Amino acid sequence: MKTIYVCSDTITGIFSAVYDAWRQEKSEEECKIAVKGMLEQELFCEYEEVEETQKKAQAVEVLIKKHLGRKAYWDIYHAALSEAPEKGTVILGTMLAAKQLSDSTRIMEHLSHKKVERVFELSRSVGGEAHSYKGFLRFRELVNGVLYSEIAPKNQILTCLAPHFADRLPLENWMIYDRTHGAFVVHEAEKKWVLVLDEGFDRSMSQNVSFKEPEYARLWKSFCRTIAIESRKNSACQLQHLPLRYRKDMLEFGTKEDTGHW
Amino acid sequence: MDMRITEAMTVYDKLNILTDAAKYDVACTSSGTSRKSDGTGMGSCEKSGICHSFSADGRCISLLKILFTNECIYDCKYCINRRSNDVARASFTPDEICTLTMEFYRRNYIEGLFLSSGILKSPDYTMELIYAALYKLRIEHHFQGYIHVKTIPGASPELVHKTGFLADRMSVNLELPTAESLKLLAPHKTRKSILAPMRLVQNRRTENQQELVLYRNAPRFVPAGQSTQMIIGATPETDYQIIQVAESLYQKFELKRVFYSAFVHVNEDKALPARTDEGPPLLREHRLYQADWLLRYYHFQADELLSEENPNFNVLLDPKCNWALKHLEEFPVEINRADYKMLLRVPGLGYKSAVRIVKARRLGVLNFEDLKKMGVVLKRAMYFITCSGRMLYPTKIEEDYITRNLLNVRERFPEEVRNMGYRQLSLFDDVSFGENLKKAVSAH
Ligand code: SF4
Repeated sequence: MKTIYVCSDTITGIFSAVYDAWRQEKSEEECKIAVKGMLEQELFCEYEEVEETQKKAQAVEVLIKKHLGRKAYWDIYHAALSEAPEKGTVILGTMLAAKQLSDSTRIMEHLSHKKVERVFELSRSVGGEAHSYKGFLRFRELVNGVLYSEIAPKNQILTCLAPHFADRLPLENWMIYDRTHGAFVVHEAEKKWVLVLDEGFDRSMSQNVSFKEPEYARLWKSFCRTIAIESRKNSACQLQHLPLRYRKDMLEFGTKEDTGHW
Repeated sequence: MDMRITEAMTVYDKLNILTDAAKYDVACTSSGTSRKSDGTGMGSCEKSGICHSFSADGRCISLLKILFTNECIYDCKYCINRRSNDVARASFTPDEICTLTMEFYRRNYIEGLFLSSGILKSPDYTMELIYAALYKLRIEHHFQGYIHVKTIPGASPELVHKTGFLADRMSVNLELPTAESLKLLAPHKTRKSILAPMRLVQNRRTENQQELVLYRNAPRFVPAGQSTQMIIGATPETDYQIIQVAESLYQKFELKRVFYSAFVHVNEDKALPARTDEGPPLLREHRLYQADWLLRYYHFQADELLSEENPNFNVLLDPKCNWALKHLEEFPVEINRADYKMLLRVPGLGYKSAVRIVKARRLGVLNFEDLKKMGVVLKRAMYFITCSGRMLYPTKIEEDYITRNLLNVRERFPEEVRNMGYRQLSLFDDVSFGENLKKAVSAH
């Protein structure tokens, strides 16, 4: 009977599930990994709740880096952040496929393998969304000087964004809240950033913007308006590069007047 | 012009005026250099560049693109800010530029600054102010984001030199393709005043690269290189002349990019071409960018693409198809054997696919299905290639026949050209499209 490992939608969860499947030497046909919240009930399967630990997750990370290489780890890590329900299963499938190769570090070139191809696709799409948000995300300055941002990404990209902004704004206090997944990263000036998973986070303080904030918001909106060349106007092209789903949190597309509030 | 008025102006008013005045500049990208922050200030650079927004014309907004001043003493005929125009005037102070850049950057509005300028009082006076703004950003505020700055033609070499150590990219606009056109439309500028700083930056960059080999931490001079731009369609140069100019800029001045900017009619002046309803010549601009691409990445030379007898690009076919059709004796090429350079010349086959082909064929024989997966556009390439000696379909290798078929394959224009360009194309659809088509099919 097929075993379905059920884990939480986190790196620790997915890697722990991989660990269990790997330890029990399951073949590709014998098992699947399902993520809680994205579960589809299947008949004639055995469901096994994974016990999730840091230790298991780290062991899997080391295993991947050592045998599949850093580049493959990068892809697998990004795939694990994806919104796709089959991500755990294709990651496990990819690792099992690597076992069959004489040089397992070449696994990500093995694109004719369906699961490897899928990991590659997921990684690309997560990486793409993270790259977009590096540009499209906006901070606003709160009264206490903290730079605050809210986003609603499809994938769990906070840990992709955090190093980028930590490098870029090392002397600032900032935080990014991910509405989709109820998580945020916090960066205190000159310290390391941290990821916090908390559904119950009180966002009311985020409306309390600094005195200067409305003015900069107004300057920016005006800049975006003025920079466009009327005789080359092209909303189709604009839409193609900047899909509507991002615009909700971008003040230059906001409908509210120039107050600095959202 | 009332100079005092700027003093009463708010930064908001200035930003409006000086953004509006800068918007026709096309050379706006944040790519080409990567830099981690050193932890003492703010900012970093990503090699591939980052777009922070897209404006209503569909262009990427990456940098705070503004003029330092539009209180210009020159009178370039094509320019909205020329002395003789009656437009609102303003100048920033170095402090204002610095604050705007820093505050925009912290909020992640921008990747950095793109500072261009009209000429206030004199070239040196202006360049000095630009330098002061960059100095504040880089030295006082430790700003490590991207800075692209325009060199002012006629500014002293020392100033250009000092500024180059603070900027990532420098550029000086060529403005127009030939010296005669420059004389006609930009009477205060000369080819010499434009090429001199370009040469200076080039030479200093070469020296700097040697310094960096010796001392890894030596200050870096214009690390993202130089670019330039010229206006297309304001003067009578042919495409052939234009790409020859571009080619020599790449070869003799080691420019990173040449930008082409379709002439937008903003002034009435008898030295300018008559106004038409067609809008800026975007399709022509697009063909020039395609050709530029062929020069930089596909080992083509200007002389191969056009000639005195045939000096303009075909509006109906991209430059590579056009070249291939005139060199049918070189085709078809065998995908499993042809060398890399020849693969690059196959229509429908990009340089990335060419690299993939060369790698993949070491592992096995490639067929058409494999090519498709590698991103080859078979609809276009099929007339020019064989796999293991076989063509995809039996086709005649004959110019008229292939041309007709290629014209049936819809070319994928960038959105911008699609909207504007097709309107232009269908305009002469009624009048002379048939004739053009005939010419395209049966010339040569
Ligand atoms: S120098 Fe010429 S192009 Fe530049 S702002 Fe002055 S008039 Fe315009």
